Amino acid sequence: METTQLDTQTTTESNVAVRPEEPSLPPLEWMQRNLFGGGQGSIWAVARSSALTIVFTLLGLFAYQQLLNFIFSEETDWNSVRVNLRLLFTQAYPESDYHRVWISLGLVLILSGVGLGLMKVGQGISMKKIATWCVGWGGLVVLGVFLRQPSVLVGDDGTPLLADADGVPLARDGLGTLVYLDGSPAPSQGLSVVRESYGDAIASRSGWLLIGLVLIGLAAAIWFGLGDKRRRSTFLPAIPFSLAGIGALISTTWWYNWGNYTFSADEETGVSGFNFEPGVKVAETTRNPWTIMFVVLVGAYLLGRRLRGSAFEPRLKGLLTLGWFLAPFITFFAILRGPEFDWGYVAAVDVPLWLAFGIGGAALMWVLTKPGIGELGRVLAVLVLAIAAFTWIAAFFGWFGMLQKVRLSFLLLGLAALLAPNFIGEARQRLTLVYGWIGTITVFHVMVTIINTPSSIEVPTEDFAGGFMVSIYVTVFTLLFSFPFGVLLALARTSRLPIFRLLATIYIESFRGVPLITMLFFFTVFVNLFLPKGMELALLAAVTIAFVLFSAAYLAENVRGGLQAVRRGQYEASDALGLTTVQRTGFIVLPQGLRVSIPPLVGQAIATYKETSLLAIVGVFDFLRMARDIIPNQPEFLGERKPALLFICVVYFVGAYAMSKYSQRLEKNLGVGER
Amino acid sequence: MSINDATVAVTEELAARDDMIICEGVDKWYGDFQALKGVSATIKEREVVVVLGPSGSGKSTWIRCINRLEQHQGGRIIVDGVELTNDTRNIEKIRSEVGMVFQQFNLFPHLTVRDNITLAPIWARKKPRAEAEALATQLLERVGIPEQADKFPGQLSGGQQQRVAIARALAMEPRVMLFDEPTSALDPEMIKEVLDVMKDLARGGMTMIVVTHEMGFAREVADRIIFMESGEIVETGTPEHFFTSPEEDRTKLFLSQIL
Repeated sequence: METTQLDTQTTTESNVAVRPEEPSLPPLEWMQRNLFGGGQGSIWAVARSSALTIVFTLLGLFAYQQLLNFIFSEETDWNSVRVNLRLLFTQAYPESDYHRVWISLGLVLILSGVGLGLMKVGQGISMKKIATWCVGWGGLVVLGVFLRQPSVLVGDDGTPLLADADGVPLARDGLGTLVYLDGSPAPSQGLSVVRESYGDAIASRSGWLLIGLVLIGLAAAIWFGLGDKRRRSTFLPAIPFSLAGIGALISTTWWYNWGNYTFSADEETGVSGFNFEPGVKVAETTRNPWTIMFVVLVGAYLLGRRLRGSAFEPRLKGLLTLGWFLAPFITFFAILRGPEFDWGYVAAVDVPLWLAFGIGGAALMWVLTKPGIGELGRVLAVLVLAIAAFTWIAAFFGWFGMLQKVRLSFLLLGLAALLAPNFIGEARQRLTLVYGWIGTITVFHVMVTIINTPSSIEVPTEDFAGGFMVSIYVTVFTLLFSFPFGVLLALARTSRLPIFRLLATIYIESFRGVPLITMLFFFTVFVNLFLPKGMELALLAAVTIAFVLFSAAYLAENVRGGLQAVRRGQYEASDALGLTTVQRTGFIVLPQGLRVSIPPLVGQAIATYKETSLLAIVGVFDFLRMARDIIPNQPEFLGERKPALLFICVVYFVGAYAMSKYSQRLEKNLGVGER
Repeated sequence: MSINDATVAVTEELAARDDMIICEGVDKWYGDFQALKGVSATIKEREVVVVLGPSGSGKSTWIRCINRLEQHQGGRIIVDGVELTNDTRNIEKIRSEVGMVFQQFNLFPHLTVRDNITLAPIWARKKPRAEAEALATQLLERVGIPEQADKFPGQLSGGQQQRVAIARALAMEPRVMLFDEPTSALDPEMIKEVLDVMKDLARGGMTMIVVTHEMGFAREVADRIIFMESGEIVETGTPEHFFTSPEEDRTKLFLSQIL
C-alpha cells in the first residue's frame, strides 16, 4: 500500500477520504490484547488483567442471571403491568375521550417526523457496528437461555408442584392437603418447588436459542461476507433503519397472537376484574391507533425529507420551532382537557379584548418603529410599562377589578414597546414587529381563554392527567419555563449592575440550598395560604412552579459556566463594533455560552425528568405512584410491586437515554465551524 | 464620505484638515500602576500614525482608550469633535466612527464570515440586510477573499481571519481605524497579506493608528511615528527622522535592539 503518513496531512476539502485506519484485529487477538493483558509482556500484567476480566465477567453474569430469573419467574405476575398499561401511562383518563390522547401523541409525532426528515443525514450505521450489535444481543440471548434457572413445574390446578427436603415429589389429595404420591402425609417444612430438568429447560427455550443463533449468524455473515474495509464503509441510513424496526414491531400486532389483556370495571356493582386471553391478537383499540401513529410518523418523516433543501425549508424550520413551543400548551390544555367554552362569554369578553390589544398594540408598534421617533419612543414605552405596573399594584391593593389577562397583556405590550427600537427602519422591518405582536397576542389570548375554561374530562382525581403523561408534562413545562428563567438569572449574576448580581446570587444560592422535596411540600401546602382570597393554585400548577424555580437555579449556574467560557475578546469586538449590550448578549455571548453549556444543560434536563418521580410523595398520581401504590392495592395484584417498578425503570431509562443521545447529536451538529 | 474616493497625496492635505483625534494629558491606572502618564497627541484626518515601543509601554492601552475599551481616568480624549465621557451616547457615537482590529482577530466563531461582517451594520447601523450583504461582498473582494464568505472563521487561516476582521471593521464605514498589533499572532508567511490590505487602506486615505512591530510597514506607510515607553510619548516624528536621526537616548536604545 502506498498510503503513508503523507495522506494524513492532506486536510483540504478536495480530499474527502477518511484517515487510513488500522485494520481491525481478529476477535481472538482482540480479546487477548484487551481482556487478558496480552502484549504487555510481564506475566503479572497478564495475570492481573485476566483476573479482573474474569471476576467482573462473573459478577455481570450473576446479575444477568438474577434479572432473568426474576423476569421469567412463574411467581412474577407481569399481568399486573400488562393490564395496567393504561393506568401507568394516563391514569384513569376516560376511555370515551381516549382519542384526545392519540391526537396529542400524533401531533408530537408529526413534529418529530418532520424534524427527523429535515435533519442533516449523518453517515449512518456502519455494517461493522451492526455486526457488533447482532453478536452482542445474540450472545446475550444465547447466554440467557443457558443461564436462567429451569422453570418451576406447575400442576394441573396452576399451583407449583412441591417436593420435600430430599426432592421426593408431593401431590395434593382431594382436600388440597399435601401428601406423598402413595398417600402418606407429607412434612410441612423444608418443602421446595420442583423444577424441570436442565435439558428440558433448554429444549423448551429452543425458540429463544434460535433467535440468538440467527443474530450471531447474521453477524458472522456480515463480518465474513464483507471485507474489513467494506464492513466499515458500508452504511445503513440510521433513521429509515430505525423506522423499519419500529414498523416491524407494530406490524406484529396484526399477525402475532400477543394475547389480550383488559381491565374491566363494572360501574354499577363496583366489581372489577381483569381478563386475560392468551393466544389472540391484541385489541383493535391498541392495534389501530398504534398503526395510525406509525403511518403518521413515517408520513411526516417523508414530508420532511421531501422538503429538505427546498426553498421552503427555513420557513418550515421556524414553524417546527413554533410548533414544539406551542405543542405542550395545545396538547395539555386544549386537547387533553377538552375545554367547555361558554361561547356567549367568549364573544362578549374574550374576542373584544383580543381585538383591542391586537389592533391597538399593532398601531402602537407601527408608531414606535417610525424612523426618527427618538426620545418620544422611549417615553411611550416607559409609559406603557408604567400602566402595566400600575395594574399590578392596583391588583395588590384591590383598588379595582380587572381580568388577569388584561394585566398580562399590558405587560406584554410594555415588553414589545421596549423591543421596538430594534425594529426602526423601512416598512418591511417595522411590519416584522407588527406581525410578531399580532401573532404573540393572538396565541396568548387563545391560550389564556382555553386555560381559563373548565375541563370537560371527568376523572376520579383532582387532575385530569396522571401516570407517565403527567411526568412528561411536568418535565416539559419545567424545562420550557426554567430555561429562559435560568438564562436570565445567569445573565443577571454576571451583570455589571450590582443590584441584579445581588438578587440573582441570593435567589440561586437559596434555591440550591433547599432540597427539592422540601420545595414541593412548601408549594403544595404553604403557598395557597399566602395567595389572595379566592385565588388557588392547582396541585399540578403548584408542583410545576416549584420545579421551575428549583431547576432554574441549577440551570443558571450551568449557563453561567458557559458564559464565562466566552473569551473577553468577543466582548471587546462586539463593543468596538458598536453593538448594544442587549445585541452583544443575544448575538455573541449567549450563542457561544449556551453551546458550551449543552452537556450540563442536558444533564439538568435528564435530572428534572427523573426527579418528577418525587411527585408521588406530594400526592400527584404520577408514574411512580401508579407502580408503587396503586397497582399493589388492586385486589387482583395485591402486593405485586416488583414487575411494575422494573417496568417504569425501563421506561424512565429509555427516555433519559434518548435525551442523552439527542444531546450528543446536537453537540456534534453545533460544533460545526468551531475548532 | 466613502473610504474609497480620496487618492490625493496625503501629506499635502494634512494642514488643511481638521483634527480627528485629540488626546490631552490622558492618564490611565491599573490599580496602583499608572499605565498612561499624561499622553497628549493629535491625529489629523487621513493621517497614518504608527505607534512603536517596547512591550508594556502602554501603546495598546492608549489606543484601546480611544474607543473606550479601557476607561481613562485623567485628561481628555476627543474623537471627531465628540468628547469621550461617561455618556453612553457619546461612546456609541465614537464607537460607530472608530473601527478596531485586534491582535487575536476576535472574530465571532459561531457566525459565518458573511454574518460576521453584516451583523453590526444591520443591527447597529440599521442597514437593510441586502445592502449590508452587498457591502460585505464588496469588502471581502477588497481584502482578497471573496470566496470564503460562507465559511466559519475556524476554517480560515490566521491571515485570512485577520483580513475578515479588517473587513468587519470597515463594514461600519468608520472614519478612523485602530490596529492593535494586527500581525503579532500571525505566522510569518501570512503577515504580508495583512500588511498589504493595510497599506491599501492607508493609500485610500483612511485615518489610522497602528500599533505594530513591523518596522518595514512603519517606514513605508506611516506619516508619523510615535514612540512610547513606560506610558509616555518619548518621541514623535516622520519615519525618516525617526529611523535615521532619533534624538532621545531611549529611542536610540530601542532601535538598536530591534534593527
